[in-house]
Amino acid sequence: MTNARQQTAAISISDRRDRAITLAPAVLVLAFGFLSPLINLAIESLKEFTPGRVGSVENAATTVQNYHELANQAFANVLLTTFWIGGVAALVGQLVAFPLAYFIVRRLSPRMRTLALGFLITLVLSSVLIKTYAIELTFGSVGILRPLLLTVGLSANSREYINIVVIAGLVHSIIPVATLTLMGAMQSIDPRLLDAAQSLGAPGWKAHLSITLPLSLPALVSSTLISLTFAISAFVIPMVLGRGRVLFMSNVIYTRFSDIANYPSGAAISLVMLATALAVISVITLAHAWKSRR
Amino acid sequence: MISAVEFQSVGKSFGETVALDNISFSVKPGETIALLGPSGCGKTTILRLIAGFERPDSGTITIGGKSMAGLKPYERNVGLLFQHYALFPHMTVEQNIGYGLRHRGHAAREIPARVAEMLDLVRLTGFGHRRPNELSGGQQQRVALARALATHPSLLLLDEPLSALDAKLRHELRTELKDVLAAVGSTAIVVTHDQEEAMSLGERIFVMSRGEIMQSGKPDDVYWRPKSRFVADFMGRTNWIRGSVVATDGSVSTFRSEFGWEFPVAASRDGAAMKDVCVRPESVEISSGTGRAGAIGMAGRVEDVVTLGAFRHVSVELSSGDRIISACANRPDISFEAGQEITISMPPQACVLFA
Amino acid sequence: MSTHSRTARSGDRVAGALAYGVVGLGLAFLAIPLAITCLMAFDARTFLGPLPPPALSLHWFERLASQADILSSLRTSLVLAVLTTILSVSIGTAAAVGLARGDFPGKGILTSAFLSPLIVPPVVIGFGLLLFLSKAGITNGMARLLLGHVIVTAPYCIRTGLASLLGADRRLTDAAMILGATERQAFWSITIPLMKTGIITGAIFAFAISMDDVSISLFLSDPSATTLPVTLVSNMRAAFDLTIAAAAVILMAVTVVLIVVLDRLVGFDNVVGQGLFRS
Repeated sequence: MTNARQQTAAISISDRRDRAITLAPAVLVLAFGFLSPLINLAIESLKEFTPGRVGSVENAATTVQNYHELANQAFANVLLTTFWIGGVAALVGQLVAFPLAYFIVRRLSPRMRTLALGFLITLVLSSVLIKTYAIELTFGSVGILRPLLLTVGLSANSREYINIVVIAGLVHSIIPVATLTLMGAMQSIDPRLLDAAQSLGAPGWKAHLSITLPLSLPALVSSTLISLTFAISAFVIPMVLGRGRVLFMSNVIYTRFSDIANYPSGAAISLVMLATALAVISVITLAHAWKSRR
Repeated sequence: MISAVEFQSVGKSFGETVALDNISFSVKPGETIALLGPSGCGKTTILRLIAGFERPDSGTITIGGKSMAGLKPYERNVGLLFQHYALFPHMTVEQNIGYGLRHRGHAAREIPARVAEMLDLVRLTGFGHRRPNELSGGQQQRVALARALATHPSLLLLDEPLSALDAKLRHELRTELKDVLAAVGSTAIVVTHDQEEAMSLGERIFVMSRGEIMQSGKPDDVYWRPKSRFVADFMGRTNWIRGSVVATDGSVSTFRSEFGWEFPVAASRDGAAMKDVCVRPESVEISSGTGRAGAIGMAGRVEDVVTLGAFRHVSVELSSGDRIISACANRPDISFEAGQEITISMPPQACVLFA
Repeated sequence: MSTHSRTARSGDRVAGALAYGVVGLGLAFLAIPLAITCLMAFDARTFLGPLPPPALSLHWFERLASQADILSSLRTSLVLAVLTTILSVSIGTAAAVGLARGDFPGKGILTSAFLSPLIVPPVVIGFGLLLFLSKAGITNGMARLLLGHVIVTAPYCIRTGLASLLGADRRLTDAAMILGATERQAFWSITIPLMKTGIITGAIFAFAISMDDVSISLFLSDPSATTLPVTLVSNMRAAFDLTIAAAAVILMAVTVVLIVVLDRLVGFDNVVGQGLFRS
């Protein structure tokens, strides 16, 4: 039966009215609380900065000055820091999440699996503040992992030490989400494929390299990119763990707001950040399109 | 007499696709009709129009003499057994069966008794507190039937009622469904793509194709006297023999195949135009030896035998060169082998002429 | 045994040990910092000392409870989270029903638009709202926070709502209508109960996210309405002591309660099926 077609055609006038009623609140909230602020940000980013005002002066001159000011070494460093620390954290996160997801899906009893799921979901729903604080306690002045880092020759005050702590903070948040994302893909891999590979003479680790890894590669790619988007828009983690020495783009926006009240410049950085986030997202979309074309 | 359901020149299209092309028919009160056809033939559209899920583009639909124009599904007293049942997964069996009673304004204190009565009717007493996902496919089907019948609908619609069940269960439940329909005595329309289901459940069958009713009538009429090639093929296996009518004497004509085999067939009004004969395999009688060959019989040789349990399909090459398949009962005392000499014969009334 | 299979076996052993090692270290890395935080919150010392605490006491909790700003911001956070949850679930569930009702032009674009706040950095949303709401003249702190939180939580409710409607066949509402229920009755007696798992999952995510948010709230809080995480962040930056560990224990307890509710009502397996985590 052409059921799909019939159901589409079954939409009556009352359906159309119901649809308008059900969608209207979300559309209004989205338009007022999301789209308008973003458009306003774009306009604001082109306004001349007048110190000591919330927002620009009425009829302030239009200028690209705020963007031009970003073309300096300091902001380039911020951009670079955001991406390299975020990127390393995203990759380390996958390195742990991939075997962890496989372990939970294939090696645990249903009971233990539920327990592991509960643990991961608890971590996802836990406050980023708690997690950040916990990392600070673990690596901070009295932390138990501090001696470990000190013995490999890192000074507690060095830039490297702070970088590692920030990465640890990001990874702690990335692992649960990435694991849950990868578990979906792992579940859909037929376990008999591994048996088949091994019965054809491949040792276990090679079977994984030739079966599990390629089949979950699309999921791994998007999980990495999702983690990267999370990492580069992180705010609390670099703010608390970076001790003012590791600055992400979001921290600079906040500084523009709280310390020097330069809103037009904050708006310009916001737009740069939005553009980078969208760029990463569009890579995910392209990867998906590429996956479904194959 | 007022028809239980009547379609007058009903048309319905979905975009470019014509689902129903100017359909007219009527169903007598208490009658069970089977709408039979391949998917996309429009049978489900008829059902959805009667239920009120769709509105016709043209024509009128009446139920019990009352026009249904503009009436919502809940304003019609129609029961519907959905394909795959559409039981409410979050309600118990009792709540499912009582749902219609609650919404059709039955007094709350009468509902439990009616639900119990329905559970008894479908032999599921004691299952009232289960959830649909705790029931087998056959039990779910019976709950769906009880739910559809609970509100005493003037008309019961059944959409592929047995298609979700496996073959053995399907046979059992077909009989049971027939008994229940007879017991409640309501008018019923069964939609199905399975000709066995249609013939066993329907007192009349409407064979549909591409939005049109190709033929309607009693199961035997439609089966033995198909009016079109489509109906002949859709209702079951057939042998097609190409040739021409060479003589007609009263109700019997003589047909001559391309290979020169002559045999008697049921006469048709415009015999001269007829180029094909359709004969069902089970009408082709087969006996060992060539002794009975003559005016009625035709000698031949067995080419192949396929055993299907209750039946055997025997492929035969006749001495004329024609090929024909015979379906005969599978018996331990009779056997056929490839190469064996046999004789076949067919009653003239089983041989239907086509242009 | 052939050399080939012997090397294959030892390769397997090394790879297996490596994989288990990573899994073990990963789980330890996830769990240990949280465990340390819980332990340190009960440290009897009045200063931040090395592990393990020599004695346990509740004095950090007492100190926390004595801070007026903590208590008032906790109240703000709870009220805000409840209001956010109610609004997001209502808006999100309605939108999911609207999106699931047949195909219509622009459906795909609208769905992406509804989910787009999830891909915009929260700091950008917070900063953008701050500028826009100041311009629009909305100065009430609670209203600003509520709008900001609904923007980022409603998409979760839409997502879980849509996922739960995938299982709800259109034929079930058809069945209800042929049994005498009006569209409205069918909606409340069939559609909404079928969306239960999605609604609950969405509600718990909305509550938890609202309770935890820092990035947006930091911009929208004002002296009249400051959320608990915002207060904690500024305390953390002012002085790093263990009152925050005590607060973390309380927040973790709230999360655990939410998780238990989630498991009882929905089940973790279903949560993963709600489309919140997908590649």
